[in-house]
Amino acid sequence: MINYLEAVRAALADAMREDERVFLLGEDIGAFGGAFGVTKGLLEEFGADRVLDTPIAEEGFVGAAIGAAWMGDRPVVELQFADFVTCPFDVIVTVAAKTHWRSGQAIPLVIRMPTGGGVRGGPFHAGSPEGWFVGQPGLKVVCPGTVEDAYGLLRAAIDDPDPVLFFEHKGLYRRLRAEPPAPGLRSPIGRARLAREGSGVTVVTYGSGVTLALEAAERLGGEVEVLDLRTVWPLDSVAILRSLEKTSRLLVLQEAARATGAAGLVLSLVAREGFELLDAPPVLHAPPNTPVPFAPELEDAYLPSADSTVAALETLLAY
Amino acid sequence: MPTEPCAHFPQVPPEARLELFRLVLLQRLFEERALTLYRQGRIAGSFYDGRGQEAVAAAAGLALQDGDVVCPLNRELACHFARGITVAEAFGNFLGRGDGPTRGRDGNMHFGAPARGVFPLVSMLGDLASVTVGAAFAFKRHGEPRVALTFLGEGGFSAGDTHEALNLAGVWQVPAVFVLQSNRYSYSTPVERQMVNTNLTERIYGGWSIPAERVDGTDALAVYDAVRAAVSRARGGNGPQAVEALTLRIHGHAAHDDASYVPAELRAEFAERFDPVARLEARLRLDNLEREAVEMRGRVEDAIAEGLALAESSPAPDPAELEDGVWAAPVSDG
Repeated sequence: MINYLEAVRAALADAMREDERVFLLGEDIGAFGGAFGVTKGLLEEFGADRVLDTPIAEEGFVGAAIGAAWMGDRPVVELQFADFVTCPFDVIVTVAAKTHWRSGQAIPLVIRMPTGGGVRGGPFHAGSPEGWFVGQPGLKVVCPGTVEDAYGLLRAAIDDPDPVLFFEHKGLYRRLRAEPPAPGLRSPIGRARLAREGSGVTVVTYGSGVTLALEAAERLGGEVEVLDLRTVWPLDSVAILRSLEKTSRLLVLQEAARATGAAGLVLSLVAREGFELLDAPPVLHAPPNTPVPFAPELEDAYLPSADSTVAALETLLAY
Repeated sequence: MPTEPCAHFPQVPPEARLELFRLVLLQRLFEERALTLYRQGRIAGSFYDGRGQEAVAAAAGLALQDGDVVCPLNRELACHFARGITVAEAFGNFLGRGDGPTRGRDGNMHFGAPARGVFPLVSMLGDLASVTVGAAFAFKRHGEPRVALTFLGEGGFSAGDTHEALNLAGVWQVPAVFVLQSNRYSYSTPVERQMVNTNLTERIYGGWSIPAERVDGTDALAVYDAVRAAVSRARGGNGPQAVEALTLRIHGHAAHDDASYVPAELRAEFAERFDPVARLEARLRLDNLEREAVEMRGRVEDAIAEGLALAESSPAPDPAELEDGVWAAPVSDG
């Protein structure tokens, strides 16, 4: 058995063994092994030319990764926390996202970032900022919710010719365990995964929501279908609508505050193209519109849980 | 007051002097033609030029070799031409043609040829400094004797990401060359109101230990000589290098801006004595290259007319193609 964090590390190591163009850069990722220990051991195997410690200058080193990608390398950036993506926001949106459309030049870049709460990180270390990039032309936004996808989506992201933002959930790093994914496995970017079949309601979710939804579904039984988006932008609209054809009820579950994340895009899709499939108004189960709070009493109340998801599903099923 | 000829640089061979003249003149005449087209309403949007800065653009572009890469900014059209971009391609972008470098998706000098080593400009100052450092890092990592070059003005020098890039260049000791276009104004704000120490040479060396040389930015030969040496040092494994070229932006930030905030006597004196195109032309006369210079002017005028005709006869962009190429590998519907 390996955990989610080890799956990320295995994907990095396998990609680097297979392809000399792949190199890593980020803060404290070398001898220290990264803030969460994801890159432990990689410096020893691949050397300082391919596992680069950087100054605390996210805009500078993400911009540099773009330059290396322009030259044909396959840089993989680590941000210490997803919240810190505010710092390189400009080069991601201005340069990485728009260059192919403007000029035909591909920018094969992966930016990994530990996202999400449950670790008492507070407003600057526990956010889920993927929503800022959902809808941005030129980017792909990936949020693995399983050990298998932590490996398979990262391998696919490193292969991909487009800039991919890879939100790995820090709360899942050591909590999720599974059999090691087959070496070389790729999980397709842009494809949702049916995590559980059911007939009465569809939970559309991603990232940390996948585990919660499955737990809630176990407690409620056969009615609950769980669709793991895996890629939140671009959205797999076909998979969402196909599931609703069967269940006619939708609950969107996400850890990002309710006005952000992927929910808006999913609900807009369903309002426009799935209206006649629905037997009940869709439900959005997501935290309130505040930054992530620190105190355990506040954060536990803020984050969706299996209990709160069960309650939301029961209300929806009773409609 | 007469034009000051460029200083005597016997180490710059006559062919390079003439090629520099071709490039500065190409930018000058291209931009004059384009400004007319803009005023006629044939170029949409806004219009920026680099009048007064052509020598820096031309010299930096010509100082590079095959395989080197560059991230030009918005007053460096001669650098595009030096790196092999054609007049028709440039007009194609200004005119928003369907087969232009950005297919009408971006305008004016917001274009490049990244597959040929010229990154397309973005408007946010400082972004391309880090892109340049990353390209240079790739060269170093792969042991390739290539150089990446970019430009910075005083405006960009106030942006935080510029400083992150300069710091990385120093820490990683990459073959990057920074050409500082000190043109005294950022839009309307004079440099004295943007920074306390306006000596960028001193700052780039004192702050990041990047060797820097200050030259007269209106003298194409002086800039060429300095940038060529800097490129050679960078290529030789001596880490990042800088050249600061002192000049004046003669026109406003863009065509809507009459630059009335620049003292009239300063502009007049500059245009009369230190116009980079006239200075180089005067030098060529002293160097007994007058006949060649006259012929060159004719060829440049022809190239502009032909390039414009080609761009004007090319197709308009097709709105039906607008969503093509957002991604290099689009995700197809389920």
